[in-house]
Amino acid sequence: MGPNVLYHCPCLSTSSVPPPPHQISSSYSFHPLHELFFCEECDAVRCNRCVSVEVSGYYCPNCLFEVPSASVRAEKNRCARNCFMCPNCRNTLSVVPSDPPDAGDGRLLAPISTVGEPPFFLYCNHCRWDSSEVGITFEKPTGLAAQLQKLEDSAPDSLEFDRLKEHFEPIIRASSLSSSSTVPSTSHSRHHSNPITAAASAALARDIPGVGKYTPLTRSGRSSGKDRSANKDEMPEYKSRLDITKASAYGSGGGDVDVDFMRRLETVSEVASLDQRWTYSWSTSLETRDLKPLRIPLHSKHSKRCPACAHILIKPEQKAQSVRYKIKLVAANYLPAITVALPHQIEMLGHISAEATKRGTKSTAEDDRDTRGGLQAGKTYPFHMALTNPLYDPIQVRLSVQRMHVAPSGEGEKARRPPFAISIPTTPFSVAPFAEAWEYEDDEDMFALDDDELEARLSGREKEPKAKSKTVGVLEKRANVTVVGGEVALGKEARGEIKFNMLVAYTYRSDDPTPSEGHDISPSKKAVPETKTFAFYTVVDLGAIIPKDEDSRLEAYNV
Amino acid sequence: MEPPIYYSRSEFIETDTGNKVSRRATIAGPQNIILGGKTIISSGAIIRGDLRRSGPGHAVVISLGRYCLVGEGCVMRPPYKTYRGAFNYYPMKVGDHVHIGAGSVVEAATIGNHVEIGKNCVIGKFTIIKDCVKVADNTIIPPNTVIPALSLFAGSPGRFVEDLPESTQDMVEVHTKQHYSRFQPLDREH
Ligand SMILES: [Zn+2]
Ligand SMILES: [Zn+2]
Ligand SMILES: [Zn+2]
Ligand SMILES: [Zn+2]
Repeated sequence: MGPNVLYHCPCLSTSSVPPPPHQISSSYSFHPLHELFFCEECDAVRCNRCVSVEVSGYYCPNCLFEVPSASVRAEKNRCARNCFMCPNCRNTLSVVPSDPPDAGDGRLLAPISTVGEPPFFLYCNHCRWDSSEVGITFEKPTGLAAQLQKLEDSAPDSLEFDRLKEHFEPIIRASSLSSSSTVPSTSHSRHHSNPITAAASAALARDIPGVGKYTPLTRSGRSSGKDRSANKDEMPEYKSRLDITKASAYGSGGGDVDVDFMRRLETVSEVASLDQRWTYSWSTSLETRDLKPLRIPLHSKHSKRCPACAHILIKPEQKAQSVRYKIKLVAANYLPAITVALPHQIEMLGHISAEATKRGTKSTAEDDRDTRGGLQAGKTYPFHMALTNPLYDPIQVRLSVQRMHVAPSGEGEKARRPPFAISIPTTPFSVAPFAEAWEYEDDEDMFALDDDELEARLSGREKEPKAKSKTVGVLEKRANVTVVGGEVALGKEARGEIKFNMLVAYTYRSDDPTPSEGHDISPSKKAVPETKTFAFYTVVDLGAIIPKDEDSRLEAYNV
Repeated sequence: MEPPIYYSRSEFIETDTGNKVSRRATIAGPQNIILGGKTIISSGAIIRGDLRRSGPGHAVVISLGRYCLVGEGCVMRPPYKTYRGAFNYYPMKVGDHVHIGAGSVVEAATIGNHVEIGKNCVIGKFTIIKDCVKVADNTIIPPNTVIPALSLFAGSPGRFVEDLPESTQDMVEVHTKQHYSRFQPLDREH
């Protein structure tokens, strides 16, 4: 990956200043612009880490059936139609009739839902697992889940689960009554405090001394004794349906059954891998041949809300396979998009592509980015930042580099300044407004080599360097893009990644007048446009410095 | 701020609608193939428009939308099956803004809009790929797989990895348009 810019979401930090880029926490605080949201109400950036997520619909990822949420629980969050996963490789299984038609050319054709003879079975066209091996066949090729229902309902794990539900339901009901009446609505009500977690935390508080005071239930005051008596959640002991000490009868309990199996073992593939057994909720047989087809777990569509004000940021359209949104407040529609590039690298890549085209060889430009266009210690490089304005109004932008120190690498060593220096334009500059006409249709926005230069490079006769043009400052304005130039000077001993935090502040015309100054505003008066400023942090990654031993390889390329 | 991707003007044929087709690509049965415009067929690609349904008249075998890219050495071949004893090919429909990486083999039934397929993938027969999907490099999608909208698939067999961001459509659109404009003829031939 080439140079890039990531944007800060302040949800993880207590101060508004982000961690320096070389700290591990930096990577958790910065995100690509296209993954961020924007809450107009709070005037703040939000990320997937901090938004609250709600399910807005369920669907099967294979048959794409939209499952009404009312039946999701009864169907145990899995497709209740014809969709099964291969227990061996997790591919989707096909329903096939008996005696798959033979193509007669020696190739094994995967038969596909041809109308054939019963019994039908499930077949994996990736690993060739088939359900008749485990004794599962069907009379008709539809409603398979329903046909398997009896088998599933009588399985020991689902019986045990039903028993657990029966056991906990009265407790949950009781605690939901008591929690709604006794728990004061503190800020904790936002923390998904539902009857189940309340019951669980009550049980935890009772079993592990000292835990209680961290739970929302006992938050007010430390009178743990009193609070404990307030818990009406005395839980009767649960007696499992099956004795766990006899679980080995079902396999993997480590008893004689397993020993016997191991003795007869001929190939490793007879043992089901942990990955294959992992999703079962019950102790299962160790044997591959006992694996059962799995109903495909449902997927869900999500709405997202601002964690502070609960306004909706993302609301998808109802239809499961629609990629449109009723509400989509993404940061890319509010914040200027910033891309960064090293011109010497771009030129080099263009050169490599041109060279390859001339020779008629395949271009390998993408793979060569790191070495041929790399950064060398002790040198100074210009870099370009292009800012694109998504707003219909012009913006004034001001950039500043956050000062930082490199964390000490060992005991007793003081924090050092980073081994590189960044210069960027510090005076504000404007970026023109977005207009539909500037869409990318005829975008010629590239750093093409001019022909003479190309000729010179290809023939190995490098021209005299041109008169040095301005590197730091505004370089170009076109459409809703402004390109500014910066410069990075690398120290002689510089190593590692060149990353720095940059504060971006932009001023724009605000449409709504500030309510606090709302006395005597008549629309006829010539409205002085309100301006607002929004500031956010980014981390700019210019790439890694090439380790010293690779330097010699580069000389051949005249970088 | 991406570098141009040069091609030799003599290698590519540019159509009125801006499709760019390499002379080093094999386009079999071109009368059965539709290219939507501004679509690039790279060198070494093989598109089998000749494998059409039996019967009279001509039929569209493979259609690609606008701003698509068929990478170097890709094979696009319509899916086939034997149904009620009769062997037949079935058409393949590919939407707009679909990039297929170099060396991939595609036998899908439909591919939606804004889809990125990586390098060296195999997209099995009758696969259905919905909108805004990404298939990682080196993924094997077995026949008849359905890939739901906005998901990333990877592995062998290809499995769901994660949901893609809400802005995937915009991102892919910008990327495919940018790629088309970066793809430029190198004028000076010697
Ligand atoms: Zn956040
Ligand atoms: Zn299903
Ligand atoms: Zn399988
Ligand atoms: Zn908010």
